[in-house]
Amino acid sequence: MMNYFPDEVLEHVFDFVTSHRDRNAVSLVCKLWFRVERFSRQRVFIGNCYAISPERLVTRFPGVKALTLKGKPHFADFNLVPQDWGGYVQPWIEALARSRIGLEELRLKRMVVSDESLDVLSRSFTNFKSLVLVSCEGFTTDGLSAIAANCRFLRELDLQENEIEEKKNHWLGCFPDSCTSLVSLNFACLKEINLVALEKLVARNPNLKSLKLNRAVPLEALQRILMRAPQLVDLGTGSFVLDHDSDDSETYRKLKATILKCRSIRNLSGFLEVTPRCLPAIYPICFNLTYLNLSYAAGIHGSELIKLIRFCGKLQRLWILDYIGDKGLEVVASTCKDLQELRVFPSDFFGAGHAAVTETGLVAISTGCPKLNSLLYFCQQMTNAALIAVAKNCPNFIRFRLCILDPTKPDPVTMQPLDEGFGAIVQSSKRLRRLSLSGLLTDRVFLYIGMYAEQLEMLSIAFAGESDKGMVYVLNGCKKLRKLEIRDSPFGDMALLRDVGKYETMRSLWMSSCEVTLGACKTLAEKMPRLNVEIINENDQMEFGHEDSEKVEKMYLYRTLVGPRKDAPEFVWTLV
Amino acid sequence: MELQLALALPVHNSVKGFDLNDGDIESKEPVASQLWSYGGSLESKKCLKNKRSSEEAFGKMGGGVPQTFPLMVWSGQPNEEDDRKGQNRKTSSIVNKNEVEENHAVGWPPIKSWMKKQLHQQQQQQGGRVKNDGVAERSGGRNSLYVKVKMEGVAIARKIDLRLFHSYQALTNTLISMFDREQKFDKNGVSYTLTYQDKEGDWLLAGDVPWQTFIESVQRLGIVRNGG
Repeated sequence: MMNYFPDEVLEHVFDFVTSHRDRNAVSLVCKLWFRVERFSRQRVFIGNCYAISPERLVTRFPGVKALTLKGKPHFADFNLVPQDWGGYVQPWIEALARSRIGLEELRLKRMVVSDESLDVLSRSFTNFKSLVLVSCEGFTTDGLSAIAANCRFLRELDLQENEIEEKKNHWLGCFPDSCTSLVSLNFACLKEINLVALEKLVARNPNLKSLKLNRAVPLEALQRILMRAPQLVDLGTGSFVLDHDSDDSETYRKLKATILKCRSIRNLSGFLEVTPRCLPAIYPICFNLTYLNLSYAAGIHGSELIKLIRFCGKLQRLWILDYIGDKGLEVVASTCKDLQELRVFPSDFFGAGHAAVTETGLVAISTGCPKLNSLLYFCQQMTNAALIAVAKNCPNFIRFRLCILDPTKPDPVTMQPLDEGFGAIVQSSKRLRRLSLSGLLTDRVFLYIGMYAEQLEMLSIAFAGESDKGMVYVLNGCKKLRKLEIRDSPFGDMALLRDVGKYETMRSLWMSSCEVTLGACKTLAEKMPRLNVEIINENDQMEFGHEDSEKVEKMYLYRTLVGPRKDAPEFVWTLV
Repeated sequence: MELQLALALPVHNSVKGFDLNDGDIESKEPVASQLWSYGGSLESKKCLKNKRSSEEAFGKMGGGVPQTFPLMVWSGQPNEEDDRKGQNRKTSSIVNKNEVEENHAVGWPPIKSWMKKQLHQQQQQQGGRVKNDGVAERSGGRNSLYVKVKMEGVAIARKIDLRLFHSYQALTNTLISMFDREQKFDKNGVSYTLTYQDKEGDWLLAGDVPWQTFIESVQRLGIVRNGG
C-alpha cells in the first residue's frame, strides 16, 4: 500500500520515526524504504567507530546533520586500555568535509581528537551548531579557539571530563562579538579561564540556558554572571568559596539576592571547591531542582549535605558522594519522592569505611523512592536480603550498577554469595537494560541473568563466576545483549567458542584477565571474518614467540563491516 | 613524653616521615592517599618517593586467585613486616598478576580515572591552601582533613591530616613521633594532654567522644603541658 505513495509522503511519515533503532528497522523493510530512509536520515549514531568506515557513512547518508561517534571500549575509563589504542576522529571529519555534508552536530565519546581535527571541523561546516565531547583527549585549547572563532552559529559547546592541554591563549576570547547564539556552554573540565572574556560572552548571549563553570571562576564572578543570565536552566558553579576578607559578606549578600532572581534553574552541579557556610545562598533554588550533581563537591560533608537535600523535594536525579551516609540516604528517601536516578560515588577508594554507605541506605531509598529506575551505587557491603527488598520495592530498574568496593565480598551477614540478591533484581525488573555486578558471585547469578534478563543490553562482570558455564548462560539467555565486558573472571575457551555467531549480534565483547587462550581467539577470528578480534599486549612483541596455549591478557572483539583497522598501534594485534 | 589518653590499643610507630610543613604537603604525601597510585602520573611520582612507607602500610596481600586478594585494606594498624615484592608502579595500565598481588588491581573500583584525578587534585589544593596569617581552619577534600596542631612551648605549629587515622591512639602515636623529633623533652615525668577546639570554639579534652564525632567537629589540636 505504501508503495503507491510518492517518496515525499513516505519521507514525511518517516519524519515521525525518530529513534535510531526504529529508523534502522524501517530501512530494512524493502529497497524503496531503504532508499527513502537513507536520503532523509539526519541523525546517525555509530556506537563503535571501527564498525564502519567514514566513507560508507557519507555514501549512505548524504543528508546527515547530526553524528554521534564512540571510540574506545568502556573499560578505557578505568585505565584498562593503553594510551594510543585508537579511536581517532580525524578520518571522519575529513571524509565529512570532503563530501560537503552539511554537518551541524557532532557528539564524540572516548575518542582522540586533535587540534587539527577541530580546526578542519570549524572551517568545513558553515551551519555547525553543536559540539559535545565526552571523555575525549588529544587536543588543546588551540582547538577550542578554532571552534570559537570560526563557527558563526555555534549554539553548544559541551566539554565533559576531557583531557585538554591548556595553553596560554584565551580561547574564550576568540568568540567574536557577533556570537550571540550560544545556548549551552560547559568548560568545567578546564583548569583556567579568562574571566573577562567569560563575562562579556555571557552578557551578549541572552539565549544561554546551560552554563557550567570551572574552578577558576570565583564566587564574585559567579554573582556577576548570574546577574546577566537569570534565565539559566542548568548551572554548574565553579568555586563556591569565600575567603576571610572583609568584603565577603557583601559578596555573599549580593549573591543571595541574585540567586533569588534565577527562578529557572532546574539542574545544579559543580561546587568544585566549597566553603560550606555559603551553601544557604542556594537553598532558594533547591526547591525547583530536578537534577543535582554533587559528585565533585568533595567539600560538602555529612550534615551540610543533608541540610541541602532537605530542600530538594522535587529531585528526579541525584548524583552524590558517599559522604551522604546511610542516614543521609534515609533523608533522601523521605524528601525526594520523585527520585528516578541515584548515583552514589565513593569518597574513599580504600574501602576503609569512614564515609561510606551500605545496604541500609539502599533499602531506605528503595522504600521511599519507588520510581527509582537507574542506580549506580558504590558501597562497603551488600546483603542478599537487602537486594531482595530493593527488587520488591523497585521493579522498574532500567540500569542497575552495584559496586561493592571489595569486589569479592560475600553477604556479610550470611557469608553467602550475592547470587540470590542479583537474581531477585533481574527477575523483578523486567525492563532492565544495563547491569553491573560485584561481590562474591558464583555461576548461579549468570543462570538467573540468562533466564530473566530478557531486555539486557549491557553487562559488566568483574571478579565473578566459577566456570565457563557462567558466561554460556549469559550468551545463551540474553537475546538482546549488545555489550559484554568481563574482567578477572574464570571464563575461557569453551565459553568463548560456544556460539561464535552470537558476537555478530552484539556490538562488542571485552575480556581481560580471564582464561581465554590465544589459540581460541585465533579460532574465533578464523571462523568469523566479520569480527575484529584484537589482542592487546603491552608487555612484549606481538606475533612472535607466542604459543596458542598462552592466556590472553586483554581481548577486545567487535563486529565490523570494514575488516581490521589500519590505525592499530604496535601493541594491538588483530587476528585474522 | 606521654599523652594522657587512656586507650588500650597497641602502639605502632611505622608512620614516620610525618614532617608536614605548611604549604609543603606535596613532598611528603601522607601514606594512605597513595594507596591508589595506579594509572595516573600524579600519583605514581609521589608513590615512588615514599615507597617504603607504603610497603609498611599494607598488610600482607597475596594469593593468585582473584577471590582472595583484599584490595583496599587500610586498617590503621599496619603490619610490622615489610612487603618486599617489587613495587613497580607504572603509569600505564599493565595488568599482570604481580600487580594484582601488589595490593591493588588496575581499574578498581570502576571510577572514571578522570574523576579520580579531579578529586585527588581537589584534595591537594584544599590541603595546600594555607593562609599566611596562620589562621587556617580545618581544610580538606574527600580524602584529607588537615588541622593545625600547636604544642605548648613549640614555636611552630604543624598540620596533620586526620583522615589518616581511625582512632585516638593512632593519632597520639603519630603526634608523639612528630613532636618528639622537634623537641628535646625532659623525660622525667613531663606529661601532656591532647586537647582540641570544636566547632563552637570551645577547647575540650580529646578522647571523650567517639572518634567519628571528634572528626566531624575538630577544628584544631592543642598539646598542653600538665602540671609544673
